[in-house]
Amino acid sequence: MSRILVAMSGGVDSSVAAALLVEAGHDVVGVTMKTYCYSETPSHSKTCCGLDGILDAKRVAAALDIPHYVFDVEEDFTRDVIDDFVQEYAVGRTPNPCVNCNSKTKFKELLARGRALGCDQIASGHYVRVRHSDGGSALLRGLDPDKDQSYFLWAMPKEILPKLLFPLGDLTKTEVRAQARALELITADKPESQEICFVPTGDYRDLLKKRLGDVHPALEPGPLVRRDGSVVGEHGGYAGFTVGQRKGLGGGFPESLFVLEVRPTTREVVIGTRDELFEDTVEISQLNWLAAAPLVGSSVVVQLRYRSEAVPAVVSRLDESLVLALEAPEAAISPGQSAVLFDADARVIGGGRIARGYTRASI
Amino acid sequence: MHPVYLDYAATTPMRDEVRAAMLPYLSDDFGNPSSLHRWGRRAAEGLAAARATAASALGAKPSEVFFTRGGTESDNLAILGRCRALHAASGTTPTLIVSAIEHHAVQDAAVSAERGGEVRRVVLGVSEAGQVDLDALDAALEAGAAVVSVMWVNNETGIMLPVAEIARRVEAAGGTLHTDAVQAIGKVPVSVVDAPVHLLSATGHKIYGPKGTGLLFARTGTTVAPLLFGGGQERALRPGTEDVAGAVGLAAAMRLVVDEQAVESERLRALRDRLEARVLAGLDGVRINGGSAVRAPHISSLGVEDVDGQALLMALDLEGLAASGGSACASGSTAGSHVISALYGADDPRATVRFSLGRTSDQIDVDRAADVLTRIVSRLRGLDGAA
Repeated sequence: MSRILVAMSGGVDSSVAAALLVEAGHDVVGVTMKTYCYSETPSHSKTCCGLDGILDAKRVAAALDIPHYVFDVEEDFTRDVIDDFVQEYAVGRTPNPCVNCNSKTKFKELLARGRALGCDQIASGHYVRVRHSDGGSALLRGLDPDKDQSYFLWAMPKEILPKLLFPLGDLTKTEVRAQARALELITADKPESQEICFVPTGDYRDLLKKRLGDVHPALEPGPLVRRDGSVVGEHGGYAGFTVGQRKGLGGGFPESLFVLEVRPTTREVVIGTRDELFEDTVEISQLNWLAAAPLVGSSVVVQLRYRSEAVPAVVSRLDESLVLALEAPEAAISPGQSAVLFDADARVIGGGRIARGYTRASI
Repeated sequence: MHPVYLDYAATTPMRDEVRAAMLPYLSDDFGNPSSLHRWGRRAAEGLAAARATAASALGAKPSEVFFTRGGTESDNLAILGRCRALHAASGTTPTLIVSAIEHHAVQDAAVSAERGGEVRRVVLGVSEAGQVDLDALDAALEAGAAVVSVMWVNNETGIMLPVAEIARRVEAAGGTLHTDAVQAIGKVPVSVVDAPVHLLSATGHKIYGPKGTGLLFARTGTTVAPLLFGGGQERALRPGTEDVAGAVGLAAAMRLVVDEQAVESERLRALRDRLEARVLAGLDGVRINGGSAVRAPHISSLGVEDVDGQALLMALDLEGLAASGGSACASGSTAGSHVISALYGADDPRATVRFSLGRTSDQIDVDRAADVLTRIVSRLRGLDGAA
């Protein structure tokens, strides 16, 4: 019988994932990734993978009577996830650290270290499905539309897919909670983790200050400008702004204004009306394909942020980067965020990082 | 799968005799030894007998034995308490001299005292043959009031440090010598008569006694300042209502292992040598850490080339083989061992596996350990490039 390595964060989802595999009779080994130094952030580890997470995962593993280990991946995580997160904000973009963690740290390390433990397959509590067939393995959206996490997995190396198992892909969160209660798992009623795990205070600017130093252009005041170039105010550092953001602009404007663009070279934050937020074209870079890349002229659907509907688009260019013509303009296309492409069957084709959004008419 | 426990240096199962000795004090004889009534007297008698037993096992006087709640506490109390007593007596800042391979309970306490400005800290190098830099010791001793802490048996490698020799030098210089004998008692002869140390730490759970028990031997005339304050128990050196059952268990365990030491050590030594011979015959690229030193008989620390230490220990566990990587401290931590760094340099790339043997260990266990280790290391090396 094959041995399966299951990533356990100490939350309810991965607890149930492990329990389901044990119930199915598999030889299961639980692991928790130690991703950052807990002593630097005492008593704030409410979110997954904090020190309390490790303890909860250990308790769940003990209840399931499976071995549990901690993989110390702090060095890789700091380099590939935290440093990238900080650098992206430093150049005025809004990163998805979970994408990097999944693709560069989590599954890569699980696979490599799992092999050392004789594990052929890797499982996690993500709400996604993977379908294995002779033609290869396909990653699909999770069945629960409220929990689907495929948005965070587009960057995984394609070669890893055949090794993956997602026991929760066909379940809803409600069903998972019910399972956890039925199995009397101590994590059954644990709240959802919302924050970024390495930003336990909830304010990522604290982390930027710590890692960029007190003096950095991204944290220095700069001008708030309109599209026409007129200066309408001052902001406290462009790293605090994301396209579409409304908070922190100071107010005093006759109408509601939103961040349209962040310009790191001039430290300008461009603001404008809700109408100005809409763009009909998106350029995507750092591409990764989990299925055959789409052809120019083909129709796809693309999801431009977590918790938003995927929208129809046509591939208008594909080389180093991908340009998609959206069927209808979208508001707040944020550079740095992931753009994930799906086919009509909810299969993840691939994705990339949004380089920029723009309006076709303007070029 | 036949699970094999070879991690006796981490902790040991309690012996039946020890449990039996403790039980009355966990039920009928529950009194507080400080109480004047008959319940108190019964408890006080138990405590006094335990103190006498523990003292006799070390060659000490009962009045020189202070019960604590563990080896870590004894180590901290010995070095911090002695340094504070010296400071209080003379007003000068004492020199705290520790070997480079001390347990964290000594090493980190020394660092903390240095940061607090309480001591000048000196670290003595140790060679892989177990030789302590005695010239550096002599030089440091010349600087005035000094406390020296050198462990009897190193917990990660089994290396024995020349405590008796160091005791003579410290005595001649008028300094104070503390030794952490946690891994030595029951494994090698430990006598405060033969080795004139001033302070000695011991614990119960490494010798088939209860966890959370320890003692500090403090030679008559060696004053130690308390770290805790309270009701004056243990002559105010370690206040707090005494754990009578724990003290009784610790003393019973000490008496037993000391009485059995000569025979058991020979048995363990033969098993350890067999284990090491089989591993070396089965695998290339394995070093016996501290192999050229005089070693206690129960620990075998192996430096294994070309494998990841974390993965190796996990794979051993999945095969039912309990070992550890150096010491059994904080889970998940991969910080390199200061002991291996001291002996072989900070960039030594080998993975460390420590097997430690005890009462239930037999030939079947060590043969299986050697076979499983050989098989797993060979497999992991075959996964080249997996990471």
